[in-house]
Amino acid sequence: MKPLFRIKSGGAASWVIRLLVTAALFALALWIPTRGSNPTIGYCLDAFVLMTAAMSLNLLLGFTGQISIGHSAFFGIGAYATAIGVSRYHYSPFVTMPIAFAIAFVLGVIVSLPALRIKGIYLALVTLALGLVFPQFLKWPKVVGFTKGPKGIDAAGFNFGRKNRTYSIFGWKPFGDMRGDGSLPLYFWIGLGMVVITYLVCRGVVKSRVGRSIVAIRDNETAAAVMGVNLPVTKAIVFGLSAGLCALPGCLSTIRTNNVLPDSGYILVIGSIVFLVVMVIGGAGSLWGPIVGSVVYTFVRVKTGEWSGHAERIPGIIRPMFDWSKSPVGDGIFAVLLIVLMFVAPFGFVGLAKRWTARVVAVTPRPAGTGTLLAASSATAEV
Amino acid sequence: MIRRKSVRLAAALAVGAVLVAACSSDDKPNSDGTTASTVAPTESGAPGTTGAPGTTGAPDTTEAPATGWAVDTADCIDEDAANAPIEGTIKIGSVMPLTGGVAAAAFAPVKDGFTTYLDYANSKGLLGDVKIEYDVQDDQHSKDQTPGAVSKLIDGGVNLVSGIIGSADNAAVRDTLNDNCIPQLNALTGLPAWGDVENYPWTTGGLVPYDVESKVYAAQLKELYPNGAKVAMFYVNSEFGTAYVDAFKELAGEYGLEIVDEQTVEAEDSSKPTSQVTNIAAKKPDVVMAVPLGAGCVSFLTELASAKAQNPDWKPATFITNTCASSLILGAAGPAADGLYTSGNIIDVTNPANAAVPAVKEYIDYMTSVNHGDIVSTAAAGWTIAEVTVAILMQAQASPEGLTRASIINAARNFTYTPTLGRPGVVDKMDGENDAFLAQSLQVLQYNATTATFTDIGKLITQFES
Repeated sequence: MKPLFRIKSGGAASWVIRLLVTAALFALALWIPTRGSNPTIGYCLDAFVLMTAAMSLNLLLGFTGQISIGHSAFFGIGAYATAIGVSRYHYSPFVTMPIAFAIAFVLGVIVSLPALRIKGIYLALVTLALGLVFPQFLKWPKVVGFTKGPKGIDAAGFNFGRKNRTYSIFGWKPFGDMRGDGSLPLYFWIGLGMVVITYLVCRGVVKSRVGRSIVAIRDNETAAAVMGVNLPVTKAIVFGLSAGLCALPGCLSTIRTNNVLPDSGYILVIGSIVFLVVMVIGGAGSLWGPIVGSVVYTFVRVKTGEWSGHAERIPGIIRPMFDWSKSPVGDGIFAVLLIVLMFVAPFGFVGLAKRWTARVVAVTPRPAGTGTLLAASSATAEV
Repeated sequence: MIRRKSVRLAAALAVGAVLVAACSSDDKPNSDGTTASTVAPTESGAPGTTGAPGTTGAPDTTEAPATGWAVDTADCIDEDAANAPIEGTIKIGSVMPLTGGVAAAAFAPVKDGFTTYLDYANSKGLLGDVKIEYDVQDDQHSKDQTPGAVSKLIDGGVNLVSGIIGSADNAAVRDTLNDNCIPQLNALTGLPAWGDVENYPWTTGGLVPYDVESKVYAAQLKELYPNGAKVAMFYVNSEFGTAYVDAFKELAGEYGLEIVDEQTVEAEDSSKPTSQVTNIAAKKPDVVMAVPLGAGCVSFLTELASAKAQNPDWKPATFITNTCASSLILGAAGPAADGLYTSGNIIDVTNPANAAVPAVKEYIDYMTSVNHGDIVSTAAAGWTIAEVTVAILMQAQASPEGLTRASIINAARNFTYTPTLGRPGVVDKMDGENDAFLAQSLQVLQYNATTATFTDIGKLITQFES
């Protein structure tokens, strides 16, 4: 089937579409914290946490082909770096984020060492071990002085005190009321900043020479090595970067909930599974996949939660499958949707969207080398 | 997703739920003659009269509303809202795991018990012209999702929240709720942290603190072993487990209890604790004090029974936390659970000896009438927490300020009440900063696996009331 429209990549139409999409996203980003309801902002924060973690995993698994089921540990490093930095050293939560990134980066590089010799299911097992060991490590008597062991750490977020403090720009309060539920806009901006930085880092890596190297590693490791890709260094960098980025949502989680425990939340190995599911739902190996996946995952989770115990709220099509159950049915509905999705969109929502839009609009890529030639010719003209 | 200390209850109830589904024996009376010693609250001599809900039409507060501690609303984001009268409808919010795997299934009966009582309160008009609305949000038992759920509740205009399940979950939203001056009542977790009146005046706990329960066992051991005893401890290596162990160790020396071994298991570890129990058996302690979690209760008891069979001369007394005390969970352990000691403050509603107790009969009849007859055992905790919440609202309504958010938390912190399903002598009480915990009395019980019933050991222990 022929597409209805054809546009050139890098052409005027292409740029108009990009600008429109960017403007729409920018408007949405401004609208949610200023005009959106608090629950909407709250669910966005849930999505931001998953978005960043899934993007970091996508860089490693989706683009490089290195499987990891231990990203919950990197998430935990971020959560604990912020908690310890704030509660013990009284650092600003903002200061703890680069520290968390650096610590997780180093650990990621160390974890990459076995990845130089093993892959596939064996690498999955090594990273799984990391995910399982991390919560136990936090209870190790030699580190309990920092981590507080099984009791976890309280008072680990912002301390706004009991007085109302607001910052206003011509009547607009970008950070909300800075107390109670009114402080959600502040967390929104932190979360959004984290997502944007992570996206730009991932995009920068994927579009760079390193990006071409990691895709080559994913597609054929031997061929990549023959072509001159430095496997150990490339893998180490990507592992470290992925781990460091995954620490950032851990920081946000601690800041938002003001506490951290070794046996709760995404620090447990189930967190790694959730990150994986989010990535797959959106589309592995796509920059937008984790973003779309986290939005879909959060929406479905919220909806299925609302349906649990309220059979009358379940949409008519799927109600007969579940309204007999006396136990909460949310998990069952989610599982069915996941199975259906894998049949309908095996490459995630982004893959599905690409397939559908290709029927309407076809983007003609620029001939290889065109950009370089144009740049060279214009440079020559200037001289 | 199983997490943390409060998951103890989750996993415990999970096993219970499975058994209910499998055996359908939850509310089936035993046909044999049981020797349970639980008696009707009305015969107990407890302070106040605890009439059955259907008998009195309303929960009875045992004392007139006190006028002691009062919250300072000057720090509230919206002071006027905190003192505004609540008329027509009062909205109660809660956050529980409704999806997310085993925790959702485990806590489903708690949620059903909670909401069923609120429906019951409406049907009886317990708050007069004020109608109760409720909204239970889902957080998958993950603290990362609790703030979003609470935001939705606040946005929906709840006047208070009650019965949020989980320590981390409650901790994740207590700053928000305290800043917004929305009462966070009866947190379903037993951490001692819920007694911080100074920093979190709007937050109260709903369970017996874990440290108090542990001290109750230590006190009972002193009675059983006046000349001292060797104790081995088995516990979950989590905030939940360490809360018990720390408190037990505090009193051990004073009561002549020597701790000869400590064995731990991780909260997420579902394997049998064979090596831990073998190590304990090697020390041959007089007492085994166990703090397992959920399904771990069953596997621990099974392994302990096996170890005792291999050491016929070793017959330790076994104390196990009351989160394992459901007859359904202990039933799964079978003969391995026979003779163990535990504790409780709610009547065993499945015990046929209690069937004639008016409160129990009313409770079971009402639950059956709304198609919840199969979960009466596991739903009792949710029912009781909702009952206490409504009793607080009634007390606030009767106060000079009338029903406001501020008067609700004032009523909660100046509160004395006997729950209708409470054991004889149990009185829920809070008194400002002097007594920041609702429930601190426990009855030590011994389990009879043959009759699947509990027998009272000694008297109700109230010495750890603040």
